[in-house]
Amino acid sequence: MTYRADVLIIGAGASGGVAARHLAEHGFDVVCLEQGDWPDRSAFPGARPDWELAIRKDWAMSPNVRSRPEDYPVVHDDSDIEPLMYNAVGGSMIIYAGTWPRMLPSDFRVRTMDGVADDWPISYSDLVPYYNAIDQQIGVSGLAGDPAYPPHDDYPLPPLPLGAAGRRVAEGHNRLGWHWWPEPNAILSAPYDGRRPCVQRGVCTSGCAEGAKASTDLTHWPKATAAGAQLITGARVSRITMSPRGLATGAVWLDRSGVEHHQEADVVILAANAVGTARLLLLSADDRHCPDGLANSSGLVGRRLMMHPFSVVTGWWDDQVEGWQGHFGASITSYQFYETDPDRGFVRGAKWALSPVGGPLNHILPMRAGNEVWGPDHHELMGRTFGRGASWAIFGEDLPEESNRVELDPDRTDTHSIPAPRVSYRISDHSRWLMAFQEAKAEESLAASGCRETAVASLIPYSGWHLMGTARMGNDPASSVVNSRQQAHDVPNLYIADASVFVTSSGVNPTCTITALALRTADLLVQHRSEQRVPA
Amino acid sequence: MTAPPSPVATADIDLGRLTALADVMLPAAHGMPAVSDVRAVESYLAQVLGWRNDLLQPLVRAVDALDPSSFTVDRLLALHEEDEDAYVALTTAVAACYYLSPVVRELIGYPGQVAKTYDPFAYTEWVAEGLLDPVVGRGPIWREAPA
Repeated sequence: MTYRADVLIIGAGASGGVAARHLAEHGFDVVCLEQGDWPDRSAFPGARPDWELAIRKDWAMSPNVRSRPEDYPVVHDDSDIEPLMYNAVGGSMIIYAGTWPRMLPSDFRVRTMDGVADDWPISYSDLVPYYNAIDQQIGVSGLAGDPAYPPHDDYPLPPLPLGAAGRRVAEGHNRLGWHWWPEPNAILSAPYDGRRPCVQRGVCTSGCAEGAKASTDLTHWPKATAAGAQLITGARVSRITMSPRGLATGAVWLDRSGVEHHQEADVVILAANAVGTARLLLLSADDRHCPDGLANSSGLVGRRLMMHPFSVVTGWWDDQVEGWQGHFGASITSYQFYETDPDRGFVRGAKWALSPVGGPLNHILPMRAGNEVWGPDHHELMGRTFGRGASWAIFGEDLPEESNRVELDPDRTDTHSIPAPRVSYRISDHSRWLMAFQEAKAEESLAASGCRETAVASLIPYSGWHLMGTARMGNDPASSVVNSRQQAHDVPNLYIADASVFVTSSGVNPTCTITALALRTADLLVQHRSEQRVPA
Repeated sequence: MTAPPSPVATADIDLGRLTALADVMLPAAHGMPAVSDVRAVESYLAQVLGWRNDLLQPLVRAVDALDPSSFTVDRLLALHEEDEDAYVALTTAVAACYYLSPVVRELIGYPGQVAKTYDPFAYTEWVAEGLLDPVVGRGPIWREAPA
């Protein structure tokens, strides 16, 4: 007899881990299928001398560059931004920076307040209890009282160090009369929940060997499995299966040897990121129920992909600030130009996060700001800048457009011969205006902070960490894929827990909101379990 | 920490020719040594290619394509246009070898990405000092949104 779970979760990253833990701790029989493996922290490269070589190949953020067996190719020839991700237990949290900002009240009401895009069917206040809870689960380091946000619960841990650069820019902003605040980070400043604190090595985005940076392989999966959840790694899902009555019955998956299995479940939760989830919904098309893709009666599956246009503005001081060191989350943040100001000629804004610059290879073979310089001038440049800089990392709000989308590529496949996703994405004129304004202001910030010179790396293509919007949330089934509980309008026992459901992108790093939404979705499933329709 | 992978045999590469190219890219100047002064290629190339064996073949192409006797920075930039993979392999390998040299690291003041300790409650000092007071004093900057 085939084993049937209460809930099948596809993807063991940020949203999958949070949902699994909550459901398992509330008595649900949970099975999760993850195409990657458990991360081996002893293999993380940050403390090794080859760290900066590793991040250009085996530890690249691009699955296409990494090309590990668990990665699937993402075709992006027609995209201004390259989608980035990591496939493992913990998901892309293994390589994220760890900054942990909440979205703001206005982010949920952009149509009403700014006349663009769409409002969310939920509000900031709906998420506050889940933001507060997830901060405790994750172990967030920060300082309450930021006037850029409504008052909320204090963080469980004190803020991480400002560092020399953070202190200088903070003082610069005080001179300008501009906002700054210590950035909340999902990185421990002190021991917490059996984990060790950050050692300021500055390698967060290639995996935190100390385990100080939160990822669900550390913060949620051990608790989820202790509560009975079953996590199957090396399991690549090829499609969601359906009953004749239009309910999801589970998923077909392939193990590492290519042997096909079927996992049955009463409820299916997709948690595979906004590219992977859209790909799976499209792969699950069938002629009888959903010829254009599962849960796609609106035609919006795969559409409205948002990736946050990203620029980096770097400044260099005359003296050393150990610019290679410190947490790569961010030391300080600024929301000075986040909220809409009609005088700027565009709406919405961007969040800034001050980060280290990296080691010598990143300096001279820059993936962020700066140019390659060879010959005698190389040494002059290194002497003038190495260790003396810090970067404002700027994410601009990315307004949704239906032409920015994920489809199935007709030619490329993964190692299991499953069609690869193809991403088409163009940075809009609005985003270009918004980011040009932010870049100019960031240069002003660094100049006021005493930097002798600045450089702008504008709209960097290798920056698609934030994948959002391909199965949007909404109240109207004609114009959205899931409802406010993240339940598919078309398939009442199919939920989407990841950032596919984002209606708009906000201008902040999304993982905090992804996890809060996943916790809310799981919590509402628990509350409404007696009403849940399941296959016979 | 896992042991680094075994060094890769560099028999396919003319090390003398590569060093000559590298000395044009990173010559002695501004108080810094040339690549050959610290024997960076001889000392570290096998290790670098052990970590990144994907660089080997394009590096062979780069070394074969460039004539050390007439090599200039402009010629290097032209290689970028002709064969980007070869350019990336050459610049990455040369830079990695050079900046693995303890002599070079000492000169640029780079100890590597080292672990540091700190007092997590040191923030109370700059809070008490009033660093955030101007920010707090200006009041909220978020916008109230309709429910």
